[in-house]
Amino acid sequence: MNFDTDLIARSLPEIFGAFGITLLMWFAGAIGAALLGFFVAVGRRYGRSWLAVPLWALVEIIRGTPFLIQLFLLYYGGPFVGLSLDPITAGLLGLTVYGAAYFSEIFRGGFEAVPAGHIEAAECVGLTRTQIVRRILMPEMTMLVLPASVNMAIVLLKETAVLSIITVPELTLVISAIGSQQYAFAESLFLLALFYWGLVELAGRLGRFTENRLSKYRFATA
Amino acid sequence: MSWKLFELLIQAAFYTVLISAVSIILGLAIGMVVSAATLSRNRAWSLAGRTFVSFFRGAPLLVQLLLIYNLVPALGLDVPSIVAAVTGLSLCTAAYQAENLRGGFQSVPGGLLEAADMAGLNPRQQFWRIRAPIAVRLAFPSLVNEAIMILKASSLVSVVGIVELTRMAQDLAASTYRPIELFAAAGLLYLIINWLVASGGALFERSFRWGRP
Amino acid sequence: MQKRFFLKALVGAAFLVGATAGAYAQDALARVKAAGSLKVGTETAFAPFDFIDAGTHSGLNVDLYGEIGKELGVEIEWVLLPWEGVLPGLEAGKFDIVGGPATITKERMERYRFTPPIAEATVALLKRKGDDTITKPEDIAGKVVGGGKASAQLAQLKAFTETLPGKAEVREYPGNNEAYADLAAGRIVAVGNSLPNIAFVAKQRSDTFEVVQPPFGTKSYFGYPGLKDDDHKSLMDAIEAAMLKIKSDGRLAKLQEKWFGASFETPDLVNDPAL
Repeated sequence: MNFDTDLIARSLPEIFGAFGITLLMWFAGAIGAALLGFFVAVGRRYGRSWLAVPLWALVEIIRGTPFLIQLFLLYYGGPFVGLSLDPITAGLLGLTVYGAAYFSEIFRGGFEAVPAGHIEAAECVGLTRTQIVRRILMPEMTMLVLPASVNMAIVLLKETAVLSIITVPELTLVISAIGSQQYAFAESLFLLALFYWGLVELAGRLGRFTENRLSKYRFATA
Repeated sequence: MSWKLFELLIQAAFYTVLISAVSIILGLAIGMVVSAATLSRNRAWSLAGRTFVSFFRGAPLLVQLLLIYNLVPALGLDVPSIVAAVTGLSLCTAAYQAENLRGGFQSVPGGLLEAADMAGLNPRQQFWRIRAPIAVRLAFPSLVNEAIMILKASSLVSVVGIVELTRMAQDLAASTYRPIELFAAAGLLYLIINWLVASGGALFERSFRWGRP
Repeated sequence: MQKRFFLKALVGAAFLVGATAGAYAQDALARVKAAGSLKVGTETAFAPFDFIDAGTHSGLNVDLYGEIGKELGVEIEWVLLPWEGVLPGLEAGKFDIVGGPATITKERMERYRFTPPIAEATVALLKRKGDDTITKPEDIAGKVVGGGKASAQLAQLKAFTETLPGKAEVREYPGNNEAYADLAAGRIVAVGNSLPNIAFVAKQRSDTFEVVQPPFGTKSYFGYPGLKDDDHKSLMDAIEAAMLKIKSDGRLAKLQEKWFGASFETPDLVNDPAL
């Protein structure tokens, strides 16, 4: 294969624009997914009983099908049932709902793992309900769900590549378009690998850093 | 959508299941070695393990597959499509499984290992008889999750020439121009497969609950 | 840190190693003859050239390569990949030539050698059936249209919209099939692609789509890309000779008739493409 570094240099401005879109979709999608996932987990644990079955079904359907297929049906199938979204909106909605299904499972595990004794002890020393949530439940749960959440954020980053099928001008779409215009597939693949690897490393490091900062809340699990 | 098209999708789904199953099992074996390397006191081993996890988790699977399929032959080794597909998926899932197992290994109670020491088990025996089984058991729920992830990610192996479920749906959509129906049908098949895996996993998990440390 | 840099460098080096692959004793033609089979790589989502019809790979390319195989006295062995895997596969030596047609352009000729043209690739528009607001290509002025990313037809469509009084917005899709899906969904009013492709779509789903006549833009042609290096020269020469024979004795026109419903006037060779 020929390797054309010039091509990469010429296309840099376009690539950085696409990088911005990828970051935007990732951050907004992951934060939205974590929030929605939290509410779904709370809804399934503490919500009205009629909520349980629809939420369970939603989570299972989303987790059981590939993101590509969900996104395709949402964007290209939506207009047939009166839901015509623009690419960015459809992409964000798709990413948020997809991630939320996984996050809700992570949080469910977290809720279950905070020992009841810690809550009881906090009640005994007279902490209010808000204090218990803020000082005990949240930090301990964060510690418990952090590794899985970082993993999920990484998965979501890689799923943003799928947004290319609904014409969101993110990294994969733009770089592979440049590649196929110039018939320079090797260069574009190499570049894609570098960008995603770099971002994943960054996310992993950030996760470990936070984990260390919060390590005082760690308690023995076994 | 005609029955004939649905039949083609089911045939393709068979490939999806086959490739994913083989990759999950190979990935578990490789993942175990990698997580052991990561936790090793030997710095070179641990660095090698971490680099493996970093690369195979970090680079998109699509890129990994193309590298294996198109670049390994340059070193004089023929790589048929099916080998490239299984290798790519196995290495990728191995990286994720290694991380899950690391969590499992770290949660093996120290007392058990001391007991094994006293019983005269050598380190290799301790690894295969005590640490590995317990780590796998602790990491089992994430293993089921990972299996479902791989079943879905296996759609990418079409890039090395395997026509699995998603690719078949795309191909059929490209000749019939009925993508919505075909994608909905493919989605349904994924849902059924994954539901079977999840229920099987839950059943299995219940059956060995007694052995928890 | 050192180690990571090393790995990244390794990946880059691996790409370069690919360049030296194919340093065999014989040249490509001799190897093909000795093996008795010509390996052809293509994708199967490009009807009517290559597609899956009731489970089997069929289309103009399958028939035409069948004829080329007869001329060369070898079997054809198909390697089916998605398009993004096809050209890297060619460069890595996974197969001898590409069977998916590409529009012959100046830029692409710098990297690949093209066979004689097999069909016209001039761009035409596909619209929703019964859409009376579009009766000729100029009617897309001020509206939203789409096409497959990085295709020569998309570039033509963009150039065409520049000439219109009210500029049209051109959306880029990862493939033609997504663009057709969005046309059906109603987000765009027309898709620009080569006439043979579009005519086939309209025929397959005559309840949904319709072709807007006439084609517009610069006349262009589809050819099969192969490698330019010395190793492949004799093979590409042999394929070229075979295809010119298939054209001159009328077999190509018959195949075009079969798959496109009409035959095209194509030049023997495109040495200086207009695009």
